[in-house]
Amino acid sequence: MKKRDDKNILRKIMAIRGMGQVITVAFGLVVLCIVFGILNPVFFSNRNIANLLRQIAPILIIGIGQSYVLITGNIDLSIGSVVGMSCMVSATMMTKGVNPWVAVLITYICCLAIGIINGQLVANCKLPPFIATLGTMTIARGIAQIVNNNYNTDSIGAAAKGFRDFFYYGKNFGVFNTIWIAAVLWIIFNFILNKTRTGRYIYAIGSNIEAARLSGVNIAHITTTAYVVSSFCSCTVGLITCAISGMGTMDAGNGYEMYAVAASVIGGVSTLGGQGILLGTVIGASIWGVLQNGLQFAGAPVAIRNIAIGVIVVVSVLLDVIIRKGRPIRKKKNITTVNKAEIKA
Amino acid sequence: MQEYIVEMEHINKTFPGVKALDDVSFNLKSGEVHALLGENGAGKSTLMKVLSGVYTADSGEIKIFGDTVTELTPKKAQQLGVAIIHQELNLCPHLSVAENIFLGREITKMGILSSKEMSKEAKCILDKLNIDISPDEIVGNLPVSKQQLVEIAKALSTNSRILIMDEPTSALSEKEIDDLFKIIRKLKGEGCGIIYISHRLEELQHIVDRVTIMRDGRYITTMNYAETTLQEIISNMVGREIKQKFPRVNVKRGEKIFEVKNLNAGRLVRNINFELYEGEILGIAGLMGAGRTETTRAIFGAEPKESGEIILDGKSVTINKPIDAINAGIVLVPEDRKRDGLCTKLSVRENIALPNLDFLSKSCGIVDENEEKAIANKMVKDLKIKLPDIDVVTDSLSGGNQQKVVVSKWLARNSRVVIFDEPTRGIDVAAKVEIYNLMNDLKKQGIGVIFVSSEMPEILGMSDRILVMCNGRITGELDIEHATQNMIMEYATKFEK
Repeated sequence: MKKRDDKNILRKIMAIRGMGQVITVAFGLVVLCIVFGILNPVFFSNRNIANLLRQIAPILIIGIGQSYVLITGNIDLSIGSVVGMSCMVSATMMTKGVNPWVAVLITYICCLAIGIINGQLVANCKLPPFIATLGTMTIARGIAQIVNNNYNTDSIGAAAKGFRDFFYYGKNFGVFNTIWIAAVLWIIFNFILNKTRTGRYIYAIGSNIEAARLSGVNIAHITTTAYVVSSFCSCTVGLITCAISGMGTMDAGNGYEMYAVAASVIGGVSTLGGQGILLGTVIGASIWGVLQNGLQFAGAPVAIRNIAIGVIVVVSVLLDVIIRKGRPIRKKKNITTVNKAEIKA
Repeated sequence: MQEYIVEMEHINKTFPGVKALDDVSFNLKSGEVHALLGENGAGKSTLMKVLSGVYTADSGEIKIFGDTVTELTPKKAQQLGVAIIHQELNLCPHLSVAENIFLGREITKMGILSSKEMSKEAKCILDKLNIDISPDEIVGNLPVSKQQLVEIAKALSTNSRILIMDEPTSALSEKEIDDLFKIIRKLKGEGCGIIYISHRLEELQHIVDRVTIMRDGRYITTMNYAETTLQEIISNMVGREIKQKFPRVNVKRGEKIFEVKNLNAGRLVRNINFELYEGEILGIAGLMGAGRTETTRAIFGAEPKESGEIILDGKSVTINKPIDAINAGIVLVPEDRKRDGLCTKLSVRENIALPNLDFLSKSCGIVDENEEKAIANKMVKDLKIKLPDIDVVTDSLSGGNQQKVVVSKWLARNSRVVIFDEPTRGIDVAAKVEIYNLMNDLKKQGIGVIFVSSEMPEILGMSDRILVMCNGRITGELDIEHATQNMIMEYATKFEK
């Protein structure tokens, strides 16, 4: 009797869309952990695990933001620069003696403005998301450089100890705060994506923007919401970065937008929109973190780590395409163009 | 005696579930313009695709210039001199006229393009046709009519002797049509054979020598144009018996609930006026490209309006976006379910709920999943949608079931006016009947139904009143008591100047 219940629960879990790939990738994650564990027993030490989770957390946070945008069928390239901007803006204010929490608030406002601009450019001005966010990426990086006259900031000082503890060094119930922040954000954004109208509209836009529009969905509003979520996440990571080093660095977050894409797509979020779950993003970010951490332990240089992550991204997406369609994506494209030609004629 | 340059004998072609061509024969003489006529879906395009090698016939024989051709491919057809001038132009808009004419067979010297030579050659071809276009003009800067001429020049530059023109005049003005006809006459004089597909029956008199009529994938007849009348052509085009029974219900017509006044929106929605009454199914008939879909989309707010007033229950309503129409109680079941109707990656439940989340959500915008499931289950039961469960992705459903999901999206809410745009396209007979019954249910509830369809039997079988559109205008209104297929066809081909 009990066994059957288990089976039902299992079936229910499997019925969640995208769960198939998440489980495949989770299996890969387990294998990776075992391999690194054998190569280096210290890998499984409490200290390393705590460290590892603290490494994963920022990637998970920006991954959540990027997943939101990817599910609407767009992309956000400004993530890395917004991280840098958040780091520099908050640090500059704190070195100038602004109360850390006021600084945090102002930083969030600045970063969310970037998200609103992204959303408006894409949804209302109909710019290709790649171009629009490429523009704001450059602008945000410029802001990061200009706020302190093209210098990294000095130490944010002792007054900011509370800020640094809150975002990175402090612990609650034995777990580092960064991990708590990531977990809380994940829970909130996962809830919004799965349980609210906004979340449903985000999937609908990514799946078929015209059908969504004809169903009365406000495309501009929802697209902007997704970009704002992404900027909010990037801003949070920028504050964490600032808390870690205790200063503002102008090139903080460089390349993070691609890490965020990697975390999302490894976890099964489709870059074409309409597909993916945030549980996948957790696994994707974890694979990223485990690879970084494990390869570092194994003594591999940064270059090798980059190559490994690049390979993983391509392979995981390719695997997904092959498993789902039974053939590479190119063929499918050809078929659809033929169909389109037929319909047209 | 002119000789035949194309002979197609006993061509059969079946697509999954549809017999597209059933023992069709067709021939073309040199130096003639041969019109190929028929309603939408009569098989004209399919036949021409067989001739141009896009489709392979299941059986039958094709002779081009007297030689039997087998295994025709688009490339081979082109080499044999068959060229299609499509309704949608197949030109690269960013390239010049000469570059387009020589696309794929550029003149080169040691691998380097010799633009001058191509430009000169192109000029020659254009001059020969009396076409006044510079070969160096960028195609995208030309008006559509000139682009069409470029396409003709391109076809002739490959020495094509058999030209297929699919609705060449649909986007042209009177003057441009005259110019085109001059060119067609010139080509005719030079011994080219032209197959001419058009819905504009009255323009045939200027150029056509013979007509062949097709209906429902079958060959009907071939006549010399001089020996026939427009009436005869029309009755041959529509002359099918209506065998199918339609589940019509009679409801007493109630109050006027909906009215469109002087609606204008682009070329295909010109000065539209009509009224709709409680408990009435208003059919909108017409040929493809008549502007029916555009009209419904303009009413629904999916396309911007230039002018016009929409009145619901005596009050003028402003509709700029679909959401305005939905809130007012006007809903549209769109024509193309894959493109406009479904989020194919989402489940049946999510699709049904999508336009209805306003009343399916609790506070803070949290979706009430129990309500959502209840509505989806009710719809699945009411419409007899066949599926394993409501969480299945809509991509995996059959066309008929997908269509029912699209319909149920809009029936889940209380509306005053429901617009169906081609609701039965591509679905099987049983599913069609269920859609008909559904429209009847709405009618009985006193909801106004607008029913756009290209299939005359169903529009005659289901509507209480029929509007016929042609070229963006309403050209006729028919009472169902008196409406016939011939009358609809006459109005549907009445291109007003």
